Amino acid sequence: MEVSRGKNTSEWLKRTGKSIRKNYAAYLFLLPKLIFFTLFVAIPVVWAFVLSFQEYRVTESNTWIWLENYKEVFASAAFRQALLNTTIYTAVTVPFNVITALIAATLIHSLGRMAQNFFRAAFYLPTVTSMVIIAMVWRWMYNYEFGLFNYVIGWFGLEPVNWLGQTSTALWAIIMMQMLIPFGVGIILYMAAMSSISDTLYEAATIDGANAFQKWIRITIPMLTPTTIYLTLLSTIGSFQVFTQIILMTGGGPGYATETLVHLIYKTGFRDFEFGLAAAQSVVLFFIILVISVLQYRALNRNN
Amino acid sequence: MIKRFTFNKFIVYLLLTIAAVISLLPLYWVFSTSLQLSSYQDEDMERPVSYVNSTPPKMYPVGITEYFEHWRKARNAEKEGDSEQAAYHREIMDEIVTDTFSGFRRLFTQNSMGAWFFNSVYISVVVTIGILLFDSMAGYVLAKKKFPGRDVIFWLIISTMMIPGQVTLVPMFIMVRELGLMDTHWALIFPDLSMVFGVFLMRQFMFSIPDELIEAAKIDGASEWKTYWKVVLPLARPGLAALGIFTFMNVWNSFLWPIIVLNTAELYTLPVGLKTLQDANLADFKLLMSGAAIAAIPMIIIFIIFQRHFVKGLTLGGVKE
Amino acid sequence: MGQKLKGYGFLLLTLVLAVVLAACSDDEDGANGEDGEWTGTITIWDGPRWAQAGDTSGEDGEGNKYFWIEEKIEEFEAEHPGVEIELVQVPWAELPDKLGVNIAGGSWPDIAPVDISGSAVSIDHIEQGVIEPLDDYFTEEELADFYDNALEAYTYDGKLYGIPNSLTVHAMLLNLDLFEEAGVDPPENGQWTWEEFVDAAESLTFDRDGDGEIDVYGFSTYILPGYYEAWPFFYINGGQPLSDDLTEFTFDSPEAIEAIQALADLKLEKDAAPTSMGGADVGGTFQAWASEEQRTVAMEPWATWAITSAQTDYPTNFMVAEYPTGFTGEPVTIGGVGGWTMFQQESEAKKDVVAEFMKYISDTDEQFLMSQEYGIFPARISAAEMDPFADNPEMARAQEMSEHVVMLPRHPEWKKIDEIIQRELQLVFNGEKTAEEAMATAKPEVEALLE
Repeated sequence: MEVSRGKNTSEWLKRTGKSIRKNYAAYLFLLPKLIFFTLFVAIPVVWAFVLSFQEYRVTESNTWIWLENYKEVFASAAFRQALLNTTIYTAVTVPFNVITALIAATLIHSLGRMAQNFFRAAFYLPTVTSMVIIAMVWRWMYNYEFGLFNYVIGWFGLEPVNWLGQTSTALWAIIMMQMLIPFGVGIILYMAAMSSISDTLYEAATIDGANAFQKWIRITIPMLTPTTIYLTLLSTIGSFQVFTQIILMTGGGPGYATETLVHLIYKTGFRDFEFGLAAAQSVVLFFIILVISVLQYRALNRNN
Repeated sequence: MIKRFTFNKFIVYLLLTIAAVISLLPLYWVFSTSLQLSSYQDEDMERPVSYVNSTPPKMYPVGITEYFEHWRKARNAEKEGDSEQAAYHREIMDEIVTDTFSGFRRLFTQNSMGAWFFNSVYISVVVTIGILLFDSMAGYVLAKKKFPGRDVIFWLIISTMMIPGQVTLVPMFIMVRELGLMDTHWALIFPDLSMVFGVFLMRQFMFSIPDELIEAAKIDGASEWKTYWKVVLPLARPGLAALGIFTFMNVWNSFLWPIIVLNTAELYTLPVGLKTLQDANLADFKLLMSGAAIAAIPMIIIFIIFQRHFVKGLTLGGVKE
Repeated sequence: MGQKLKGYGFLLLTLVLAVVLAACSDDEDGANGEDGEWTGTITIWDGPRWAQAGDTSGEDGEGNKYFWIEEKIEEFEAEHPGVEIELVQVPWAELPDKLGVNIAGGSWPDIAPVDISGSAVSIDHIEQGVIEPLDDYFTEEELADFYDNALEAYTYDGKLYGIPNSLTVHAMLLNLDLFEEAGVDPPENGQWTWEEFVDAAESLTFDRDGDGEIDVYGFSTYILPGYYEAWPFFYINGGQPLSDDLTEFTFDSPEAIEAIQALADLKLEKDAAPTSMGGADVGGTFQAWASEEQRTVAMEPWATWAITSAQTDYPTNFMVAEYPTGFTGEPVTIGGVGGWTMFQQESEAKKDVVAEFMKYISDTDEQFLMSQEYGIFPARISAAEMDPFADNPEMARAQEMSEHVVMLPRHPEWKKIDEIIQRELQLVFNGEKTAEEAMATAKPEVEALLE
């Protein structure tokens, strides 16, 4: 930057001032975005932290209650259950989806152009349709009496299952749904990354007598590490925010079997209107995501 | 390109086809249920029968086969000169058509599906245009201009990308209320315009535009705005296309925030409308799937037309630094 | 020197700012007319009620179901020049949530129909002054015309926070066709004991076509926070969720546990209810009883609206029965009270006009009319004495039940308490916990909220 070498402060200020004046057009270009950014991102982020220390009142000014909200968050059985459910959901779906995306991408990559395009589209299509639609149709397919699944498992002589209605299966039904929706973004990114791996690596390995599986393990997977890190972080962050399926399919029940963090935040904030508590819950969610992201990044990046 | 791996082609196709069927089955089920006969008086049954709620489930809209069967019977009856019988079958054919599409009809007559659809289109378009304009302007100067505070601003914006959207839910609600925007479309549009991903994407893209072209425009005496509008924007078109599609998709599908700030049924977007539809008709799956189908169709069409840009946008915003 | 920024850019920025500012500006209303009478706009929310006979307007041919309130508004506006009443039409299913959001959003209407025992308005709101007390607008004499339990529902800390205009009860609806098919006699006068009810439920569970699968079940209901169709069953042996002074959780008493377990066992042990019983599927449960294509359940408890629904939208050959009686021998049901509430007002002058309108739409004649047309029970004794259900025996029987109504506990944290209890109940009906275990789990959580 041009400003850092000023001999003294006043000269630095003068130069900076001049530079600002000279570049006023650049600021004007940034202005519209900055207005919205400030109003709807920057201020709310700071505000969320402030609110988490307050008790919100509708008609009067808020009262400071400092750590009370946080105490309530950690004391709440519902929050602990929601954290547990969200963690199970993430721990199962993220690895499964990333690995299957890798396998699918490898398989698709070995095909001709036409077939590549077809399968890529088939796997990405569910991603462009809203989760609202997907959740609605899966709720229908899980229907106890008339749903598709109970019919299909009947072929194998199994009794109908009350998928979303009982504690033992409800969370797993939601997890299974997430596993069976293809991770379209992952497949596309893996395919793009695979195309950019140099062929010479594979040629060398072939000369060394490596078979397909060995090449996959020794070349493809290590070369795809940046993509894997990105996808894992992306889907972990997404998983921790799971909400749409929950509100549309189970409402968090039965009991608290499918309660998740964001659904709990939504309920606390916009059904019970305890804004302070909801803000505290969301701040906790933020730190959980932050810590997990950092840990994942470190773990996956270690080998490089 | 050399062959990296040799797999058994048959097994690869088999595996991928099975996966593709599983992948597309829910969408098929949406359309199949939406067109299923819901309350149909079969000839030999005493009571109307619902093929939507039937065990075992009907795997395709039964109306199609029923329609052709009655069409065949009507034609046979006509051949035999039995005009009464023919008219009877024609009438049933009409009934089948009416019943098949009754879910869609009820959406538009008894619910405000038309308004929801329009709102979704209009909000998505407005936000997409706004994002494309503002983010490309911001991305352009962040990539190509040197000015005090640039890096601070950039990192400030980027660092908020890490913060999950739910954190700002409550303060944004209060903000929207204080601005008097509750239950208006502005309450959706303004916060959407604050999304920062596009700034990051456009900045990355702008780096690839050669400085010489911008300098040349300046030497020709073009103003800053003209340089941006006439030189930079056209060069950024591939990036804009990708950003535009993703913005449109995000806005079209956004759910959590709209269900919080919208109250009036006429102002709902499609996802909000679908939720209230489900709340009010939990067990009427034909109606629900008809609504889901209407919401799904535009994104499917857009995806099929712009597939290339989806792939491009994903790889742009992805790993490459 | 930097390049000149040409017109477009500035135009654009000005436009952005203008749009932001324009969208954010608020318009204020309210002024006093020359004669001191307040003039301005009053906002009222209402849900669809009934259409005028013969009105087949509207795209679905059901007519305009808001005509009653529209007519009242027109009449009132004619009498009060300068006063404008704006009607916001809100479907009933969405009303509580929307009202909640609007209260939190500080954009409440002036008047809204609120079931005070429902979830939209809480005692917390009353304490914060969101709801206006109405005592000043009623004389003792006027208040004496309302049923005591109706007034009580709207009274908090000795003040009246709404005008009751309707009572609702929960009642059992029996599909008489299925009773006939199974050869079961419906209860006389709709009164029966728990044992008689269980016998009926078991006999009404049968395999119609002999394929080895049950086609019709005797009983079903659902469990969901905020809904109480199943709850009267838990009261029949004398149990209740909270002690009278609201300091103790009492659904873990033997009377309550036994009753809860007995109802769950109707499905779990006796197989007289479908698997979905005790789930959260409100719509599916009603369809199973009412929809012509299904009718797979013979008996379900519902709130009053279902009676009207089974007489109009889902024509069914049915009768209304009481909940069966348990150890206490006393029939019991849960009821609700509907009415109009006034939200925080800025000026006394406006408050007077708003109150006048509220009284105008809830006088004896209007309540009588509403009972006849809309299928609710009047909250005014004078309206009930006009005998609105002379030719509707099913409604009349349900009305008799309102004598046995118990109200839900009125605790500021009831919504959360309710959720804890209902979620545990769901587990009981799934057979995942016994009633005893479930209520033992709920107890400490509920009592933490009672403190």
